[in-house]
Amino acid sequence: MDDLYLDNIDEFVNDQNKIVTYKWLSLTLGVHVNLAKQMLYHYLDQKRKESSGQLHATYLVSGKFVENGTMSHKVSVVREDQLEEVKSKMSLTVSVHVYSVQKAVLKDSGLLYSADYDAIKENLQNCSRYSAIHCANAVPMTSAEVQQDRFTSQAPPPETENIKSGINGHSGPVSKLASKQPKGIMGMFANKNVSKNQESDKEIKLEQKEDAPVVETSKTKPAAKTNPMSNFFGKQSVKKPDKSIKEEVNVAQPSSLGKKPSSPPPKADSPVKEEPPKEGKDVRSKTKRVDHSDGEENDESQKKRRRIKKPQPDSSDDEVIPDSPPQLQEHKDTSSSRESQVKTEPVVVSHSDSSHLNQERSHCKTRKRRRVLKSHTFLDEEGCMVTEKGYESESYSESEEEFKTSKPNQKIPTPPKPTGKKEDEKKSKKAAAASNKSTKQASIMGFFQKK
Amino acid sequence: MFSELSHSSRQGSCSLLCRPGSEDQDPSVFDRVQPAYSPCAERFRLGERSFNRQYAHIYATRLMQMSPLLTERAQQKWGADVPIKKLCDLQMGEQCCIVGTLFKHMDLQPSILKEISEEHNLLPQPPRTKYISQSDELILEDELQRIKLEGNIDVDKFVTGSVIAIYGAEKNDGKFTVEDFCTADLPPQAPRTPISSDRFVLLVSGLGLGGSHADSMLALQLLVDMVTGQLGDQGEQSGAATISRVLLAGNLLSQTTQDKDASTKAKYLTKKTQAGTVDAVRLLDELLMQLVASVPVDVMPGQYDPTNYTLPQQPLHRCMLPLSSSYPTLQLASNPHQASIDGVRFLGTSGQNVLDIQRYSGMDSHLDILENTLRLRHLAPTAPDTLGCYPFYLKDPFILEECPHVYFSGNAPSYQSKHITGADGQDVLLVAIPEFSSTQTACLVNLRTLECEPIRFSSFSAGDDEESEMNISH
Repeated sequence: MDDLYLDNIDEFVNDQNKIVTYKWLSLTLGVHVNLAKQMLYHYLDQKRKESSGQLHATYLVSGKFVENGTMSHKVSVVREDQLEEVKSKMSLTVSVHVYSVQKAVLKDSGLLYSADYDAIKENLQNCSRYSAIHCANAVPMTSAEVQQDRFTSQAPPPETENIKSGINGHSGPVSKLASKQPKGIMGMFANKNVSKNQESDKEIKLEQKEDAPVVETSKTKPAAKTNPMSNFFGKQSVKKPDKSIKEEVNVAQPSSLGKKPSSPPPKADSPVKEEPPKEGKDVRSKTKRVDHSDGEENDESQKKRRRIKKPQPDSSDDEVIPDSPPQLQEHKDTSSSRESQVKTEPVVVSHSDSSHLNQERSHCKTRKRRRVLKSHTFLDEEGCMVTEKGYESESYSESEEEFKTSKPNQKIPTPPKPTGKKEDEKKSKKAAAASNKSTKQASIMGFFQKK
Repeated sequence: MFSELSHSSRQGSCSLLCRPGSEDQDPSVFDRVQPAYSPCAERFRLGERSFNRQYAHIYATRLMQMSPLLTERAQQKWGADVPIKKLCDLQMGEQCCIVGTLFKHMDLQPSILKEISEEHNLLPQPPRTKYISQSDELILEDELQRIKLEGNIDVDKFVTGSVIAIYGAEKNDGKFTVEDFCTADLPPQAPRTPISSDRFVLLVSGLGLGGSHADSMLALQLLVDMVTGQLGDQGEQSGAATISRVLLAGNLLSQTTQDKDASTKAKYLTKKTQAGTVDAVRLLDELLMQLVASVPVDVMPGQYDPTNYTLPQQPLHRCMLPLSSSYPTLQLASNPHQASIDGVRFLGTSGQNVLDIQRYSGMDSHLDILENTLRLRHLAPTAPDTLGCYPFYLKDPFILEECPHVYFSGNAPSYQSKHITGADGQDVLLVAIPEFSSTQTACLVNLRTLECEPIRFSSFSAGDDEESEMNISH
């Protein structure tokens, strides 16, 4: 092999007119960086002796440098003609070596960066292969480990910074939803949904006393909100094959490298190169899909969103619930109970019957907990009056609530049987207004969900 | 220092200015030192992000947390029997001590309300580097009241939000004449574990990727090559192997990657365009990839990086760094970052807190401001007044409870460092990490001696007459 590399370098420098840096050479020939530096020096030395053609070199000089009384370690790339001058300025020269060899005089050292750039980019996966420092810890994780790492890194930190949210966020049905959600990226999105949920819940609770239908929408909310989450499930499943490809690449690489340790890495890297465009395509197709759903109203998810916009006590609402994956026993209960309510409404309007219904329900229902915004006023240590608003969970039984809701329910005219009474109309208007409020809420939420 | 260390270990090894194989030896490979590392920045992580709270709670909790400390300090300084009063109990002419939060009334402080209300204000105000003026006034607030301060207190040195104790008396005009004041001073410090060998931590800040500093890219590559052991003689490489960790303190991306118009432009106009940060983040990923394959790296976000703007800035998301995030050596950190490396406790920010104090006080040196915040025992006193901050409720995480051994801030205009010692024997190294893109300088902290040394990278330009002449001719 002895002087074969001299011919190689000669070809790169003279025929291909390249700027040959030690790093580029090391990566191209697959040799240790220090060996590459010596090769360049040898080549330069020999050509100078032959005095054939004009060659220019840059050197790297590093050492202790004192400037304005402050001592620093200085690393500089210099042209050959400045070498001695720079060396003399250093109070202690640590290292000197050839940085690059090229035919033309380098005016701008920025070219040295671009000369290396492509070679570095091609060898990113094993960029420190030929370097003089080995780091035992720096072993890329497999995709499974990466996933695990994400779990741990994104698990909510033990920060208990606000009691409010502590009480707020994680009790009742919402917390159960959250616990069922997968962690990781999706978990993050899901968390956001949960918080949105809380907000909307809160406002709805404020309205709770006003009118009954609103209560019903509040019930449907948690279930309906899970739709975006299910969307994320879908996306995740799309991504999965991609990851397995990555894994394959990871496995394939070392083996191919093992076969040809002396050959330059580009070959081995070819599967890696193929990868980015694939991902790009994926992204594109995703965005396209989103565009489609924007335009076409008959998309399934679109339908659901529309439903969220107009949460009326309509039996079609029930379709939403089976769709959502994190289905809960409680929700099933409520939905089924509401179903029965909705079904019975057109037929049974009498007071006695509804109370009977209530009894039925109270039989099957246990006591539940709900969160209520309460304000507390107290004196703190300094004797200041402090008012704190916070959510508190209080227990209640379904029957209490139902009893409240059932009263207006009786008088509201049901769609199939419109009665001409003025009083009823007023009530329905009220109800409509109330539901309008909630639709406003929902439509804003829907706006955010589209993105 | 680093140069000597590298030089001494070079003895006996062959020079690189010789033919290969002349000594017929395998090129030596050094092992990277593996320090004990534990991140302890949990208090800067946000669990729940709810932004519907008021900021008043931060000041309330800050005062509540700080006042016992200051009471203690005041009693140390002015005697145990010094009367410590609330503002409401203040008697005219009585000498006493008050603990409270400072508010600095500044005429030049930009206020959106003022801009809206003043109709005649058609001339746009010139952008200022400083907002201090002669008419600034200091006001001390406790839980209930406020009082104007005058006397022996330097208005320019203080900023809004600092909690201090003052000693003096109220005068007839309702102002409080300050005779003396004291700050909470350095918190208690845990002793360092002695280390037998020289180990370094490299602090870099302000890489400014995607910016117009094209010439800094070679310097950056030189930095990476040096750390990863490509550059230099074997001596240098063995020295570089003792760099146990690299800490990137913010502003990885350049300010120019931020497109101010992006939010105001219509969506359909920007449909095909790519954000300026996309390429820069890709570049960052490639750069980190080279680093993490050889050395553990802590990455803190900064003012211009793609994460939340308000302090504490949360770590960059790993999805942005698909290549490098597969390495366990990559540690994505929050912006005030705290970590213990080989028993040496590092604490610091990417520089927003210091820059903000620089704007609103008479102090200019980043090092002085850094020391000042340490003495106030608060990382970012001007948050939330002029510095974006999460509305904390029960706890102010910026109050320093434990004294770090190395206290740094990033994106300084130039490199500065110094040691300060506290009353209880605390020893702290203060480092103002220079912006790399403009200075091509990074700093090496020796974990054994707690000394700091800059590393400069230069290409042709330095001391190059020819080139400067050419530049003139253009």
